[in-house]
Amino acid sequence: MSYDTNKNWFYEISGRDIHLWQLVETAATDTIGAHRVKLPAEYYSKQLIYPDEDITNGLRVEYTALSEPFVDEAWESLTSTISGTGIAFVDGGGSSDTITDTGSGFVTAGFAAGDKIRVIGSASNDGDYVLTAAIAGTLTVATGSFTAETASESITIYQIPDEDTSPDETNHVNLNRLLSLAVVDYIKAQLAELEGQIDLKQYYMREFWKKVGDNESNKRKISMSFPISTFAVK
Amino acid sequence: MTVQEIMERAGTRETSLAIAWMKDAYHLVQSSIKENVKTQKSNIIDGIRDYPLPADLISIKSISIKDTSDSKYKIIRRMTHAPIVAEDTDPE
Repeated sequence: MSYDTNKNWFYEISGRDIHLWQLVETAATDTIGAHRVKLPAEYYSKQLIYPDEDITNGLRVEYTALSEPFVDEAWESLTSTISGTGIAFVDGGGSSDTITDTGSGFVTAGFAAGDKIRVIGSASNDGDYVLTAAIAGTLTVATGSFTAETASESITIYQIPDEDTSPDETNHVNLNRLLSLAVVDYIKAQLAELEGQIDLKQYYMREFWKKVGDNESNKRKISMSFPISTFAVK
Repeated sequence: MTVQEIMERAGTRETSLAIAWMKDAYHLVQSSIKENVKTQKSNIIDGIRDYPLPADLISIKSISIKDTSDSKYKIIRRMTHAPIVAEDTDPE
């Protein structure tokens, strides 16, 4: 059994692999009869060893992932979302799988056939799915999508844009409006470079990074306060 | 914002080139901010040290190992350098 894994496990990155190590206090041992004994020439010490047990889904990597740059709808137009403990998943066997809601709020929340949705908070059905039908109390997806799960967990379902691998002029960039404006600056920078206007290119690249920075700072609300000196002149 | 609107704002009519530049800009944005965060879980196997990074990885946010005594994932630390392995037969 693994315990205190935050203290006893370490990793290093080698090429495209994660190398896992376990820190143990041990020595080389052997079994004689019914007894496990330390070999005479070995000393007891801290050692790094390879993982010494099987753990199902034991390694979790949280990472920033590459995604498709173009989508069918703008992020700002995706407002369909629903949360609750009355959401259940039905494995339809040979028929379509469904999500049910005791509050029958799917249509009111804005879901419709063809939408791509993301499920979070479920015991075993978190993921992205495409709706084949949507009525007030039931969302339908393709056969074989779900593991049966009764209502109990607090689950959230929300719409996400459908990615497009062959974009044209009608597609949207998979970014919010501020970052889309940054993309405009990036293209202006490339056009300036084509015309040999390096100063102008640098100007637009600065604008590009400024908007990317603004987008990040918009996610943080930091207030700062300073004491006013008794003798401050106002 | 649509591809067409971006092209109009930037003042270009070359759709293919503009889309290629939009992809470049998108990857630049993605590599510098955490817009699309995912998790990947894989089984740990007794005696196996190497586990592949996700194919679509841009940057690592954290790596955790499941503590089976309380079924929680706990973030582990990165080694500052590879250990100097004196003996590497079967270190179990």
